[in-house]
Amino acid sequence: MKRNWKLLLTGIALATMFAAGVFAQNGTDVLIRNATVLTAAKGTLQNTDILITNGKIARIGKNLRAPNAKVIDATGKFVSPGLIDCHSHAMLDSINEGSSAVTSMVTTSDVLDTTDVTIYRALAGGVTAANLLHGSANPIGGLNTVVKFKYGRPMDEFLFPGAPPGIKFALGENVKRANSNVLPGSSRRYPATRMGTMEVIRDAFIRARDYKKKWDDFKAGKTKIEPRRDIELEPLVEVLEGKRLVHAHGYRSDEHLNLMLIADEFGFKIATLQHGLEAYKIAPEISQRGTGVSIFMDYWGYKLEAYDTIPYNAYILWKNGVVVSLNSDSGERIRRLNLEAAKTMKYGGVPEEEALKMVTLNPAKQLGVDKRTGSIEVGKDADIVVWSGHPFSPFSHAETTMVDGEVFFDRKQDLARRGQLKAERERLEKMDANLPPGKRGKKDAEDKEEKPEATPVPTKGGNR
Amino acid sequence: MNRLISRAMLAALCVLTFASAMSAQVGSYAITNAKIVTVSGSVIEKGTVVIRNGLIESVGTGVRVPADAKVLDGEGMTVYPGLIDTRSSLGIPQTPARPQGGPSAQTQQDESISKYPEGLRPEVVAASKLKAGEAQFANQRNAGFTTALTIEDEGIFNGQSALINLAGESAAEMIVRSPWAQHVSFRTLRGGNFPSSLMGTFAALRQMFLDARRHAKILEMYEKDPRGMKRPDRDVSLEALIPLLNGEQPIVFNANSEREIIRALDLAKEFGLKAFISGGQESWKVADRLKDQNVPVLLSLDFPKRTLTEHKEAEPETLETLRLRVEVPKNPARLKQAGVNFAFHTGELKNLRDFFANAREAVTNGLSEADAVRAMTLSAAEIFGVEKQTGSIEAGKIANLVVVKGDLLDEKAAVTHVFVDGKEFEPPKRPERPAGTAAGNTTGAPANVAGTWNLTIEPPGQTVGATLVLTQQGNVVTGTLSSPVFPSAPIRDGRVTANGFSFLVTVSFGGMDIDVTFDGRVTGNEVEGTADTVQGPAAFRGTRTPR
Repeated sequence: MKRNWKLLLTGIALATMFAAGVFAQNGTDVLIRNATVLTAAKGTLQNTDILITNGKIARIGKNLRAPNAKVIDATGKFVSPGLIDCHSHAMLDSINEGSSAVTSMVTTSDVLDTTDVTIYRALAGGVTAANLLHGSANPIGGLNTVVKFKYGRPMDEFLFPGAPPGIKFALGENVKRANSNVLPGSSRRYPATRMGTMEVIRDAFIRARDYKKKWDDFKAGKTKIEPRRDIELEPLVEVLEGKRLVHAHGYRSDEHLNLMLIADEFGFKIATLQHGLEAYKIAPEISQRGTGVSIFMDYWGYKLEAYDTIPYNAYILWKNGVVVSLNSDSGERIRRLNLEAAKTMKYGGVPEEEALKMVTLNPAKQLGVDKRTGSIEVGKDADIVVWSGHPFSPFSHAETTMVDGEVFFDRKQDLARRGQLKAERERLEKMDANLPPGKRGKKDAEDKEEKPEATPVPTKGGNR
Repeated sequence: MNRLISRAMLAALCVLTFASAMSAQVGSYAITNAKIVTVSGSVIEKGTVVIRNGLIESVGTGVRVPADAKVLDGEGMTVYPGLIDTRSSLGIPQTPARPQGGPSAQTQQDESISKYPEGLRPEVVAASKLKAGEAQFANQRNAGFTTALTIEDEGIFNGQSALINLAGESAAEMIVRSPWAQHVSFRTLRGGNFPSSLMGTFAALRQMFLDARRHAKILEMYEKDPRGMKRPDRDVSLEALIPLLNGEQPIVFNANSEREIIRALDLAKEFGLKAFISGGQESWKVADRLKDQNVPVLLSLDFPKRTLTEHKEAEPETLETLRLRVEVPKNPARLKQAGVNFAFHTGELKNLRDFFANAREAVTNGLSEADAVRAMTLSAAEIFGVEKQTGSIEAGKIANLVVVKGDLLDEKAAVTHVFVDGKEFEPPKRPERPAGTAAGNTTGAPANVAGTWNLTIEPPGQTVGATLVLTQQGNVVTGTLSSPVFPSAPIRDGRVTANGFSFLVTVSFGGMDIDVTFDGRVTGNEVEGTADTVQGPAAFRGTRTPR
């Protein structure tokens, strides 16, 4: 028993040391030396150094000096901004509140799971930030959360500081429940058609307008009793006031156009059309309104409304001046967004930097966080990826992924840690609580007599 | 159940049981020569406790034994305050499970005037559901429990809990404090109604608290001066939340994982609620915040253990799961060290012996024995605000006591007497286990488990009958399990355990092959235990047909 305990303690200590090695660099200066820097803003810089101070990009140039900085030698390597996923459901303990057609009262920020391993896998693919969206079950869904992937940190450190709030809308088959069975005896949820969907949205904004008036009247002293706070309508008032971004899931161009017309009617702008598989058909109308589009590069045909698209969608939109981003909407695709960007060069010939922007600066713009992240420029957050080769090559991989100048993924350390984790697993699997019933308590008689070492001091979140 | 009918029945039962309660003698007792663990003060190595009229009259070394007292010679015994289970559903009859595909909650007759659906009704009071009769608590008392917090585990708002003593023939006699707190589970409503997701649950809670705050304001305005003001609608549900917003009534959140606890603490902060955590499996990870927000933990001693037999084809368990099972027993010691108040409860434990086994594990992992005992007694009383009445052995307090042969936390401890409100209960003597049998039956003759067992298996909401035929050779058990609802299947990995048997069986049910691990505890011709599946555990019990 005693021996086992000592082994376990050693294991914990080692795990903590490793964790410290990967994560604890707050406040340390970092100098990335001699890299090919893909800035996603000001072209590609050869043999360039980047100095990171206090989590920000302090200097970019050649032969920078920083005697106290931790040096990452990136000779022969490529450096890009951290990738940003504008459509993800990672970290969410629940995704859809499907009970009603308008669920703007719910928010994904209530159900974040900072231990979701998808985060780590995304970091291993160079992703540093994401837009965590409610699902697409309702015309007006729940509120989204923009996060930085600070894996291993407390929940509040994930929330992207200053990111404007947003909300998910959805159109089409998922909303009208075209693909779900209605149980015998129960009625189909309204809306069951695309026109019903538009009515639900219009109705909600009429209610929001009335709600706003009630409060305006109260604030102007016209009424005595304070109106009821309605957390369903409050976010919609913010949309009307231009304070909340709308991310609208949809496939068909007629529907997305219809939604933009409703937005025109109520005087607000749709921030992004999500998926927008037919967005290329209405590229000028989208461009005119300054609306962004966040698409899959070449994923279609998985339901009827997802057929009429082309791999040139991104190119045509870009050509029309639309801010385009490429998203994952998947725990798998989130690990290779760099290759999604590469494909836009193949289909239509989007220039390299513009292609890179579709997974960096453009999603940052769409989420209203482009002042802080999305490109490698002095003053921005040091959300940076060091790649073994050009990120558009399928043979390259992310070696180091930093968020705010701290390393949250390091390939070398990850590989080194695997042996430790394997050993830890083997130790743990032999412990009583991890044995099936009937096999517990079979220890050597001598072990039974000995008391274990004192319990180690608890470390905050230290066991993941 | 229809509330009016249940009230009428309750009243009738009260009348019926009144006479018997009155006739039951609550006499005076003196436990002499015993070791007394007062919990509030130091341990008395050899002393006397005198009980009279349901209270502790005196305690100490030089205490005179009254002439009229029944004397219990406490030589070799230890007296502890009665144990308090800080979370249970004791005394509350189980809500009958709704038949699958049957009418929804809405179409069933609903006598409540609340405009909120079942599950979002904080006005429900556990005390009003209490079933009379003390016989139902025999198991808990025999294990040394004299007091329990009880609340139904249903809905998002579970309702308002009651602290009860586990004796007394009428519900009214049982209640020590009611209502104590509102209880909340982060779960969804049934039948696809809002909220049907965890996100929705938080939105529903948030909107109700906001509405309650406004409702309180309007009621106050109306109270002050009703003239010229439309009479506000009464709202039983929102009005039950007002004491929470005023800090007059605590709120207990059922939360086990780190993130559940954080969500609870955030919600409490948002509305200024006086919060408690119940469950608290990962609470050491948030110990700092629990301390800062002064949030005590009703800590479940239902420690996670591996339940399924090893399967080559099964996915390996995550490292997180493996770590958690090893870390959770260290939790009590860590909370203590961090200065977080806690008291134990039995959680979902089917077998109360596991409560003590796990308490011992907590001690093995760094909690002092005194703190472990305190977490079953005085700490609980303090949390419930009844520390002047109970929780320790002091003159003037309620005579809730447990007398143990040996030490409470010792594996071989045997409860010999339990006093609840001064009423004496004597648990049946259980045969002492030969030393070593608990540690895997390595010594001594294996128990006899062979025979034909008629089992009742109880997955949530249903009851399945089954017949188990066991043949035994030494420690190895073979046989078959059959049932009207699934074809007969041979058992595998069958063996005699320390106190019963365990085996694995693959059952074809509803077009699926389900692996079930049976772990049963045999007492004579009776067995009870757990049937474990990947879908979750089910209790089973049964009897052996004598050959």
